[in-house]
Amino acid sequence: MASQTPAVVMDNGTGYSKLGFAGNDSPSFVFPTAIAIKGSSGGGGGSGSGRPAVAQKPSYLTGGAGPAGHLSVKRGTEDLDYFIGDEALAQASGPGYGIHYPIRHGQVDNWDHMERFWQNSIFKYLRVEPEDHYFLLTEPPLNPPESRENTAEIMFETFNCAGLYIAVQAVLALAASWTSSKVQDRSLTGTVVDSGDGVTHVIPVAEGYVIGSSIKSIPIAGRDITFFVQSLLRDRNEPDSSLKTAEQIKEEFCYRFQKYVVEQLGGRKVTVDVGYERFLAPEIFFNPEIYSSDFLTPLPTVVDTVIQSSPIDVRRGLYKNIVLSGGSTLYKDFGRRLQRDIRHLVDARIRKSEEKSGGAKSGGLEVQVITHKRQRHGPWFGGSLLGQTPEFRSYCHTKAEYDEIGPSIVRRFALLGGPGQ
Amino acid sequence: MLLLEYHNLLLKSILTERFNSATAASIDQVISDFDGVTFHISTPETKSKILVSISVKCYPDLLQHGAQQVLEREYGQYITETESGYDFSLMVDLENLPAEQEAKEDLIRRISLLKRNTMAAPFEKAIDEHHRLAEAAKGFNSETAPTGEGTEVMVIRYREEEAMYIQASHDRVTVIFSTVFREETDRIFGKVFLSEFVDARRRAIQNAPQVLYRNDPPLEIRNIPGVKDDGTGDIGYITFVLFPRHLTPQRREESISHIQTFRDYFHYHIKAAKAYMHSRMRRRVADFLKVLNRAKPEVEESEKKEKKTASGRSFRVQA
Repeated sequence: MASQTPAVVMDNGTGYSKLGFAGNDSPSFVFPTAIAIKGSSGGGGGSGSGRPAVAQKPSYLTGGAGPAGHLSVKRGTEDLDYFIGDEALAQASGPGYGIHYPIRHGQVDNWDHMERFWQNSIFKYLRVEPEDHYFLLTEPPLNPPESRENTAEIMFETFNCAGLYIAVQAVLALAASWTSSKVQDRSLTGTVVDSGDGVTHVIPVAEGYVIGSSIKSIPIAGRDITFFVQSLLRDRNEPDSSLKTAEQIKEEFCYRFQKYVVEQLGGRKVTVDVGYERFLAPEIFFNPEIYSSDFLTPLPTVVDTVIQSSPIDVRRGLYKNIVLSGGSTLYKDFGRRLQRDIRHLVDARIRKSEEKSGGAKSGGLEVQVITHKRQRHGPWFGGSLLGQTPEFRSYCHTKAEYDEIGPSIVRRFALLGGPGQ
Repeated sequence: MLLLEYHNLLLKSILTERFNSATAASIDQVISDFDGVTFHISTPETKSKILVSISVKCYPDLLQHGAQQVLEREYGQYITETESGYDFSLMVDLENLPAEQEAKEDLIRRISLLKRNTMAAPFEKAIDEHHRLAEAAKGFNSETAPTGEGTEVMVIRYREEEAMYIQASHDRVTVIFSTVFREETDRIFGKVFLSEFVDARRRAIQNAPQVLYRNDPPLEIRNIPGVKDDGTGDIGYITFVLFPRHLTPQRREESISHIQTFRDYFHYHIKAAKAYMHSRMRRRVADFLKVLNRAKPEVEESEKKEKKTASGRSFRVQA
């Protein structure tokens, strides 16, 4: 029986959480990683728990009497009064609830909120019993091991989940690219260009291990493109230049080709011309100076630097397998453009070194950028792909192992989908 | 979220989206639900024909107690040939939907309640049985009434090690859950939780069903094969006694839904309680850390002063 239940794959990102079952080709639920809690609003303080605060006096002054008095007040179920995801956003606009984002910059910021977020994800949305399922969670590269341990504590001690695997998002994105026809060998070596809503990372991965020292991030991502489109609309005095319209234009037109957008605005029809922003918006990756004055290195150069700073013996593999992931890489021909620019850089370098060496010929270097259909939820899909393999369970740490060794067990995971399979 | 919902949210959202969108799309998703129930929603032939299949662990048990009739009553025309590997299938043709929005929503609601309806059969049977017995017992007064041995106990082995036992008699329907606690902590939380349950009736809600909790099998089911008392207390037996007021035609649907989700509700709340405890523990640790940090001795002023040798050179102590 237990061998039949599909593994649960949860990819909790800064902006959106992707939840679903392994084996499916798209996440069952995609909603904002947000939690709305009764009481204090999002701005209030670092402690950030929505419950009535424990007495401000340090506990040694109350001599242990404080919490007891506190308990009597709390016979209710206030701790269950919260919403997550889209419902949270809806509730937060009304009175009484404040919105919190438990993940910041890819890392869990508030474990109380995260625990409850997971609780609701599991019981309300996915409707599974954690005892019966294995879980595959994701983490950003360079996640501190303590944060992994915290995750394991919650998953095993609160939810008693049967087994747990925590995978690095970049590695899963590589696994997701196996669906592309361009990929011949299923290797876990490659460069992942992961561009979400908040930040863009370029992550080199060698044989399934992230080369942490070479990761670079670019402060330009989906949100910036939206702002940029908005500013273009404003410059042209379009009748509607709200952020929402800008986002819609970005998603509808920068990906595909069409002429203009017609939309209903308070009963009045407004036509917004879509002009050069259609191709100019994604262009800020390649010529950041048109948008920002702080960050001026184009994406292809960043990718090239990242690979050049990686160990020399894996560089060839990194150039050959540049994988895109995340919503902001979906622009039309984004991959081809990136590939062309990187190839120019590489070819120029090879030519130079050939000149310097005086006549020696280089064998050339293959540059290939892989685009595939699952890019948008790349890490989730990779997780789903690996989570359905029969070997998956043997890679997980089980509850029994956790009980034996303790949270430190999750510092190490056997490499899922790695060589030798 | 105090109560769990009865319908499967994912089924509901997929169907709502499909029913209301103009463009057809293919679906192929495996969905899991509580108690090892698996759904498979797919479009095997054409994009407009949605096949929803359910696999329930205890389906043979349920069939014995009239699941087929209940499902036929609920889904009638949508029932289709059962997909292999599953226990029951429904087929909805998008081109053949009811015209009114309300009827559509009703259909979505009914399909998303597939698990609930499948599991409802034995309860319905028990309640019907109860009404029949009650009718028969009307002729007696309280002394001469048959001292309710009730009907045969229905056993639904809905999980690997856990089962539901349902027995109807003329004045009540008894539902017994056996539940296994894997964890010491869970068992303790469970005990506290259940004693609250038992107390709730005494304290505030008089017309709640009676709840009993014990670690050895109750008398009703002691002679059923497969019920064993291993003496370790790992298995708990929770007995609900539903009185006629819970079984009236107006209430019965609601009662069935509630009692079905009981086990999940119970385990959900154990986990919620743990999550709550953890958040208090974290808060307490943070408080203690604050106190500890305050207790750090401050570097004294005199130590900061430079010490000079006779010749006027100074040393600095390296930190």
